[in-house]
Amino acid sequence: MEKKAVRNLRLCTKDCLCLYVCPTGATDTENSIIDVSRCVGCGDCAAACPSGAISMVPAVYPEQQEKKEEVCFALNALIEAKAEEEMTAASLARKTEKVGLRRLMKAVTVSARLSGEDLAREAGYMLPQGSPALALLKALRDNPPSDDFPLNETNRIIEAFKGE
Amino acid sequence: MKYVCAICGYVYDEEKEGVPFSELAESWTCPGCGAEKAMFDPVQETAEKETVSAAAADDGLRALSPRAMSMVFSNLARGCQKQYRPEEEALFRKLSDYYLSHSSEGAAEDEKELAALVSAHLKTFFPQAEKAASENGDRGALRARLWANKTELMIQSLLSRYEKEGEAWLENSRIWVCSVCGFIFIGDRLPAVCPVCKVPDWKFELVD
Repeated sequence: MEKKAVRNLRLCTKDCLCLYVCPTGATDTENSIIDVSRCVGCGDCAAACPSGAISMVPAVYPEQQEKKEEVCFALNALIEAKAEEEMTAASLARKTEKVGLRRLMKAVTVSARLSGEDLAREAGYMLPQGSPALALLKALRDNPPSDDFPLNETNRIIEAFKGE
Repeated sequence: MKYVCAICGYVYDEEKEGVPFSELAESWTCPGCGAEKAMFDPVQETAEKETVSAAAADDGLRALSPRAMSMVFSNLARGCQKQYRPEEEALFRKLSDYYLSHSSEGAAEDEKELAALVSAHLKTFFPQAEKAASENGDRGALRARLWANKTELMIQSLLSRYEKEGEAWLENSRIWVCSVCGFIFIGDRLPAVCPVCKVPDWKFELVD
């Protein structure tokens, strides 16, 4: 399986060994993100990195494990529950004049979003280029929910992931 | 007798501590994660699981609300971020923002309504999701449900403590959120790892 190198910037300690070993210069960029168009997937940078900041990932990601309809239904209901909590906490954070409560409500807003996202991931939307995500994007492209729906952006994502 | 924290699993052993659990002050909190005393259950007691009605699964059949759609898309944006694809990440953020701007506003008058919502969700959607995930052997779904359930219990505990102690409690306390699982920690010193998802403390973000 063809691989590409990716760098985790939180772990990178700038020992710069990847610069020395890379045969194509893909690791030497102004924004520290490895240039995938130059990466040949040899893995030398990942092996040389003393901080373990570089991983080799597949050039084309495999599909997420199949999700059963029943599981998706139950998780969707839970995502709705977290959405309702986010909505409630966000409005309370805006309304209140109590400083402590506002911070607590902001924390609940952030937390509800993170849980909702994680549950969405397990409800079939793990990979942005996976079948469920693409099916959703195409359904929205064919039937946009309103006039101000970001149709152009939707088409650009579908185009970007074509063939993955 | 031993008591275990429902959120982080910390065990209070009466024999070792020398103080019966029931004699601990009501203001006592879990040394592992800061949860209230009420979050502890006796270890021996095998809690009888509430039976879950299958009918409730119908709730998931509805199309997702705009805010839930916003969550789906902000999650896909994160998926792009993990793959170092900033352009697609920004496009998914646009979709997430679109749905957020079309979401309803909350009508709750005070935080007690939020607490009631959290308690209701803990009794319904969480056990239903656990049932569906375990019946289908979906360990990924079980994992996400478990993390969400523990962070939900913590939210319940924090809201209950706020109701008792009010602003005075939060005045000089720092509030942190685990950027991975959403666990909320209130206190001066973060635990070395998140009590729920076990990531190191630098993954927590301060709320101001």
